[in-house]
Amino acid sequence: MAETLVAVIALAAGFGAGYVARGRRAGGRTDPGPLPPDRYAESVTEFAGAVAPVWSAQIDSSRTQMETAVGQLTDTFGGIVEHLDSVLTSSSEALHDGQGGTFDRSRQRLGDVVDTLDQALTAKRASLGELHSLLSLNEELRQMSEEVTRIAAQTNLLALNAAIEAQRAGTVGASFGVVALEVRQLADRSQNTSARMVENVDRVAQAITSVLATAEASAEREGTAVAHANGEVQAVLDDLMAMLSRMQDSSQQLEQAAVGIRGEIGESLVSLQFQDRVNQMLEHLRDNIIRFADLAADAATGTAALDARVLLDDLATKYTMADEHRAHTSGTAAKVSESEITFF
Amino acid sequence: MAKTILIVDDSASVRQVVSIALKGAGYEVITGTDGKDALTKLNGQRIHLIISDVNMPNMDGITFVAEAKKLPAYKFTPVIMLTTESQEDKKRQAQAAGAKAWVTKPFQPEQMLGAVAKLVQP
Repeated sequence: MAETLVAVIALAAGFGAGYVARGRRAGGRTDPGPLPPDRYAESVTEFAGAVAPVWSAQIDSSRTQMETAVGQLTDTFGGIVEHLDSVLTSSSEALHDGQGGTFDRSRQRLGDVVDTLDQALTAKRASLGELHSLLSLNEELRQMSEEVTRIAAQTNLLALNAAIEAQRAGTVGASFGVVALEVRQLADRSQNTSARMVENVDRVAQAITSVLATAEASAEREGTAVAHANGEVQAVLDDLMAMLSRMQDSSQQLEQAAVGIRGEIGESLVSLQFQDRVNQMLEHLRDNIIRFADLAADAATGTAALDARVLLDDLATKYTMADEHRAHTSGTAAKVSESEITFF
Repeated sequence: MAKTILIVDDSASVRQVVSIALKGAGYEVITGTDGKDALTKLNGQRIHLIISDVNMPNMDGITFVAEAKKLPAYKFTPVIMLTTESQEDKKRQAQAAGAKAWVTKPFQPEQMLGAVAKLVQP
């Protein structure tokens, strides 16, 4: 844009030189001759008045187009960055919830189920122990019944001997013979009762043994089933954990890629700051072109000479950036200065 | 709780660049398109820092800072001027208006975040 200004100034200077040259050529060819000074000044004013608004409009148009395009770019990049931030946040939350939340809760619930089965099996084994105790008690009852049978047999034998002795004693032992008979009858009844007890105890023992066998077989099956369930639950959890771990790895790679893209977009956006600077430079040039038209008009009226220094000094007062000043004094393009921070 | 920063600049691209840098560092951001617009954003809400351009239409940055400092709620709010300007007299005017730092564009986000972290109250 500095080149545009130089061209404008050169053009203005050219008009002055042209006026002089036109006068010199008058004697050579069939030249119409120099314009009268007032007409020439008028034409310069007309020229400046005609081109300055067009140049200004073109500069403004460039500024607007650049501002719109860069604005759209920054909006788009900004949108991408926001989407990336959103995706990164939700991905991170989902992963943490998957590993520390859902997975741990599922493991806890499945563990509770297996614990319940274990507790039921433990209770069943305790019942089996009680049945074994009952069987032992039944055996004791059987032995006691047999003891009663033996006692009844000995009592019977004693009563028989007593009856024989009572018979030998004659009438004196008659009453004792009656007692002996009663004792024998009691012994017989005891023997019969104990025999029935032994039979019943044997039947109870058979029943308990049968129930015990069934229950032990069932407990063994359930124990196997619980152990299998425990193993299966652990295997499923291990599979899920492995899958979750793979998803986590994949998500971390995506996260790293997203962070990288976000950083690159951020750096690109930093570069787009040029728009603000270039916009201001163009604004200064536009104002100076308008000022040129005013100066040309002043020169035409004869109130002031058309002096480039006036226009350039005016331009210099508008500069806000150090590189604008450098370009102005050196006449070459100036590099953008590094950012500086001053704390007050 | 995230700190809130008001960004005032007539350039949409600069507002966007500064916003992205600050949001990425966990700050909340509100924006104004010039000094006049920014004053309407100072409606009593808590603002921990202001970042303002200098050359803006309707109301320039230095006038805006001076006006903001007249409001009791923002009397002690730190201000960073973010501008293409490098003239010392402008810097002095900004300091007199109440600005705490002057950052020239084009800025690097790390530089800006460093200045922000230095000025935002913990």
